[in-house]
Amino acid sequence: MEIKEVFRKKNVKETLEILEHYQEQCKIIAGGTDIIIQLREGIEKSSVLVDISNIEELKVVKETEKWIEIGSGVTFTEIAREFTLHDKFSALVEAAASVGSPQIRNAATIGGNICNASPAADFIPPLLALNAVVVLERKNAIREMCLEEFIIDKEKVALKADELLTKIRFKKLQTNQGLGFSKLGFRKALAISKISTAVFLELEENNKCKGTRIATGALGRHGLRERRVEEFLQEKALDPSTVHQGGRKLQKEIEKRLYGRPSLAFKKEAVIGIFHKAVDKAFKSCKIEGGI
Amino acid sequence: MKVIQLKVNGGVYKVDIEEDMRLLDVLRDKLRLTGTKEGCGEGECGACTVIMDGVSVNACMVMAFQAEGKEIITIEGIQRKDELHPIQRAFLEEGAVQCGFCTPGMILSAKALLDRNPSPSRKEIREGISGNLCRCTGYNQIITSVEKASQYLRREEEEK
Repeated sequence: MEIKEVFRKKNVKETLEILEHYQEQCKIIAGGTDIIIQLREGIEKSSVLVDISNIEELKVVKETEKWIEIGSGVTFTEIAREFTLHDKFSALVEAAASVGSPQIRNAATIGGNICNASPAADFIPPLLALNAVVVLERKNAIREMCLEEFIIDKEKVALKADELLTKIRFKKLQTNQGLGFSKLGFRKALAISKISTAVFLELEENNKCKGTRIATGALGRHGLRERRVEEFLQEKALDPSTVHQGGRKLQKEIEKRLYGRPSLAFKKEAVIGIFHKAVDKAFKSCKIEGGI
Repeated sequence: MKVIQLKVNGGVYKVDIEEDMRLLDVLRDKLRLTGTKEGCGEGECGACTVIMDGVSVNACMVMAFQAEGKEIITIEGIQRKDELHPIQRAFLEEGAVQCGFCTPGMILSAKALLDRNPSPSRKEIREGISGNLCRCTGYNQIITSVEKASQYLRREEEEK
């Protein structure tokens, strides 16, 4: 690691000035739980670091009439605490609480999880299922982008050298809408996700699927939407047989995507169980009163 | 080279650091607080756990410059004058220390948990120390000592 200069800024404005000045030489550090390892292993070669973990304006969770907005510097401990009372969003609490260990969750941030874009990032699938939008700021400019477009490839996002991810927002869940999350790791704590699935459902009368968004993690080069499965569930009544067939569709997708990988043998079986659990939780979340 | 001010165990220190130093390196190599151990160096084992601004963190995953101005507590800072902290006492009484390498981090994770939740269940204790690996004890003695420490601390509170 060859770091020549470090900055610690208290607001976004000053951080953006540093980013503009140093461009590619500079890397943003927040919780540090990914980048410090990358620096020490020589994978990350930036010579300037700018710390954003002290910027209060990035640590805010805000509700407006229709949206929930999470600052990029909010840690997973804070997310789990923030949404604990929102039963409808228990999937977010579950996803946040499944990250690393207490020590990691106390430091690691939602912005870092997104920008690092690990294939196994725990929080990306639920945000994809919520159709989240990322807010990117640079000096004197701001743009928004759909999270799905923001993640370009494994560990690669559409963040320019002088930009900072400042917020993530998604629409509040209405009464007939719900979110479910399920993760499979090799052990209970400190487990890197082997499969994770997040399901968003919007149900009409008789449990007919009006809308659905399904996203998986650790089943491809990065967290992604499973559109074939979504199309299959669309307009169908959500009964055990439909869910079963949906699971088979997802299995087919995984067989194609992970062809030749040694992990395919177990993942193609396990994904069905994880999918069922996530759908079940999303279904329960639909029945809780919404608007929060 | 950079000079930073660190608040460790109630004292304020001015320390010369290299830009690439981690909090762990400063604690051990500059302040000679070698109770904080380096195990894996990548946030898996929890041997370097310290408390920073009231929450547990891995000192191997914090850059030294990020810790400037924050309140840090290491294992050296939890003893009360000449007496052991109730968590330390409970660890000794219950045989929760074998090789001892995980112990400082384990005790600080236990402290962070008990500061927030004075009466945790065994499940909550397991969760609270889930970021600390111990290869000797099999964890049961550690969980029992955290339970015992929570009783000691509650009794202290009542006697106040």
